[in-house]
Amino acid sequence: MKARLKGFMFLGVILLLVIASGCGGNKGNTSSSTTTNQSTNQLVIGLDNDPPQLDPQKSSAAVDRQVFQSIYNTLVDIDVNGKIVPELATSWKITNGGKVYTFNLRKDVKFQDGTPFNAKAVKFNFDRELDPKSASPRLSEIGSISKVTVLSPYQVQVTLKQPFSPLLSILTDRAGMMLSPTAVKKEGANFSNHPVGTGPYKFVERVKQDHITVKAFKGYWGKKPKIQTIVYHPYADGNVRLTNLTSGNVDLVNTIDYKDIDRVKKNPNLKVDEKDAIGFQGIVLNVHQAPLNNVKIRQAINLAIDRESIAKVIFHNYVTPATSPLPVSSWAHDSSLKQTTADTAAAKKLVQESGLKNVHFTLKIPAGSAQNQQLGQMVQSMLKKVGINVKLEMVEFGTMIQQGTEHNFDAINLGWSGRMDPDGTIYSWFITKGGNNDMGYSNANVDKWLNQARTVSSKQERTQLYHKISQQLWKDAPYISIYYPNDYKAMKKSVQGFQHYPDTMIRPETISLK
Amino acid sequence: MLLYIARRFFLMIVILFLVSIMVFGLINIIPGDPASLMLGQEATPQALASLRQNLGLNDPLYLQYIHWVGGVLQGNLGYSLSDHTPVLNILLSKIPVTLELTIFAFLLAVLIAVPAGIISAVHKGSVWDYVTTVFALSGVSIPAFWLGILLIYLLSLTLGWLPPSGYVAFAQNPVRNIILMIMPSIALGIRLSAQLTRMLRSSLLEVMQSDYIRTGYAKGLLEKAVVFKHALRNAMLPVLTVAGLELSSFLGGAVITETIFAVPGLGQLIVNAILTRDFPVVQGAILFMAFAVVIVNFLVDIAYSLLDPRISLGGASK
Repeated sequence: MKARLKGFMFLGVILLLVIASGCGGNKGNTSSSTTTNQSTNQLVIGLDNDPPQLDPQKSSAAVDRQVFQSIYNTLVDIDVNGKIVPELATSWKITNGGKVYTFNLRKDVKFQDGTPFNAKAVKFNFDRELDPKSASPRLSEIGSISKVTVLSPYQVQVTLKQPFSPLLSILTDRAGMMLSPTAVKKEGANFSNHPVGTGPYKFVERVKQDHITVKAFKGYWGKKPKIQTIVYHPYADGNVRLTNLTSGNVDLVNTIDYKDIDRVKKNPNLKVDEKDAIGFQGIVLNVHQAPLNNVKIRQAINLAIDRESIAKVIFHNYVTPATSPLPVSSWAHDSSLKQTTADTAAAKKLVQESGLKNVHFTLKIPAGSAQNQQLGQMVQSMLKKVGINVKLEMVEFGTMIQQGTEHNFDAINLGWSGRMDPDGTIYSWFITKGGNNDMGYSNANVDKWLNQARTVSSKQERTQLYHKISQQLWKDAPYISIYYPNDYKAMKKSVQGFQHYPDTMIRPETISLK
Repeated sequence: MLLYIARRFFLMIVILFLVSIMVFGLINIIPGDPASLMLGQEATPQALASLRQNLGLNDPLYLQYIHWVGGVLQGNLGYSLSDHTPVLNILLSKIPVTLELTIFAFLLAVLIAVPAGIISAVHKGSVWDYVTTVFALSGVSIPAFWLGILLIYLLSLTLGWLPPSGYVAFAQNPVRNIILMIMPSIALGIRLSAQLTRMLRSSLLEVMQSDYIRTGYAKGLLEKAVVFKHALRNAMLPVLTVAGLELSSFLGGAVITETIFAVPGLGQLIVNAILTRDFPVVQGAILFMAFAVVIVNFLVDIAYSLLDPRISLGGASK
């Protein structure tokens, strides 16, 4: 009797096992997705995170966009030099002092579900992004649009409340991505699980935290993609991502840790491609919190930090030391700000001039990143030399963002991925009450210049304004810029035709495997 | 027995209810607003307010809890905040993965521990005993994540025998599935196998010194019969307790193992859901885990009575 019972238990375990494996939750065939990839018809891309969203109008994570590039097209795009070029719009005209944009659209485009792409589809997309009810993160980017009018089946007019020169640049990002109106209406909130665009690849399937598969779209209007299938795998851990690349499981990764770059360069099977950053990294100072409400202390911090040492020690010189939030790659960068090493004597003097004794504050660092932790420690020791004591506190990222928004901090280590246009990189950070202005910073001149730089269209004028802003920010020091995180993509030597765009997004249609 | 099961069932409901309140309370206490995480760094206050309204985050906590529990009772665990997938579907796609990993790791642990424990106890002081002891000590001391990295380095990068990470469902490609499960199972199971070996060894040594074993030998029974028929069964009780407790903790331990080997299971799901404050997913997953722990403990109790007839479950039965 007992023996039989035991037998049943054993059988039960086996049965569980079979059930366990049987209902693995996959619908399509992905058996080849994790095999060592030898086929030249499949590209396996390793991402640094599982994209939270496949709906561009709901997306707030940069990693989403790596996948969007294959599924969607934008109205206008950038080329490898960052110049705006036609994509779904063949041409455009800016009239009425920069307040009216008229786009002429391609006539040979279909969405992957067969829906024709036309002016109505464009209007549908803009209306969805602008509708406050859809709570789209895009609203803050294109909120200056007052209305979108269909002029003819392939001509659409976008009218702005006031001139807004970064608009085209913003449309190269998620705000300009066109979703199939049919699919959006059909799927509703579930669109993210069944995304449909006009891009070179169409969505096949997704198993969360495991893979996203896309296949070449036969009806694609542009040059046919060279590789039939692309599989995206998320590897949040940098070591795991690199191991998969080294062992041949993955063909291309969207980013590698700075500490690993030398190792990858030495590997005979791998190569690394570099592009200057468009974002910035540094320390947000709460300008309403003592002692950081004292401008002398903030200036002292600015001078006490040896950015070159940080770049060398922590980032192996694969980042560029920063003195303003506008990176070297941007036309708006002000190269006259040169203080990348520490001036300890001047910083000490500033601390004395502040009249404050026992100067100390807490610096919050996002938990889970060794690099950020090292950065905190280096800043701590550099500031100690000038008489400022820093306490470090590790905080989980989501919590840190909230504490930032609530101004519940002294200082936090936070940066920004940046945008192609300088306006997108700094406006929301330094305008009074801006969405990213965790500092609580407000300077009437900076506000004026930021707004002017949005409305004037001459690049020369804009450059001058951004230089003035950078210099004022250096003086007021609400944000301590430390480095520009350059972008590194690592891949197998067999990956051909990869083009590194300044927005760091992988456009897979030009890639082939040897 | 039936009475016992009924009582346990009632207890389980109480436990799950308490767990549900705790999970709901805890996840709402930690700072971090799902709406602001979804909308990103640049969200406008209007967009935030509107999204919070859509997600039902403006309701008072007790109302949110009642809505959630009401749904759970009707088999609806809610929808993921990030992309509106039903939580139940997400769980159903993740549970089998973690369950498979857990079962493989557990089987591996038992397959190593039982022979190793018996050999080292029966041949106490021999070379085998020392080898086993060293294995057991190092197995208990090595953290799973480190062992995982070592395994990848040795078996994937250096020898190239196994793929470093990934997952394929058993139904799609059974061979590949098992190949990919080897390293995660070892990383997760080694610790338990070491613990079980030690437990089994000491408990078997104790039993082997008791009078009835001596009597067995005196009667002229073969060593095989003494060890396997008489000693082992009694020595298994403490081992089973440890195994049961550890099996539940596997679910937690799988979090790290799953991350290292990119196995898309429950552990990764929960970590990601916590980081994005996807409340319904966290709640659903934790509730399931609590359920699993209760069930495992229940099964262990039943196994007790099978191994030792003196232990009766209901109290009332013979």
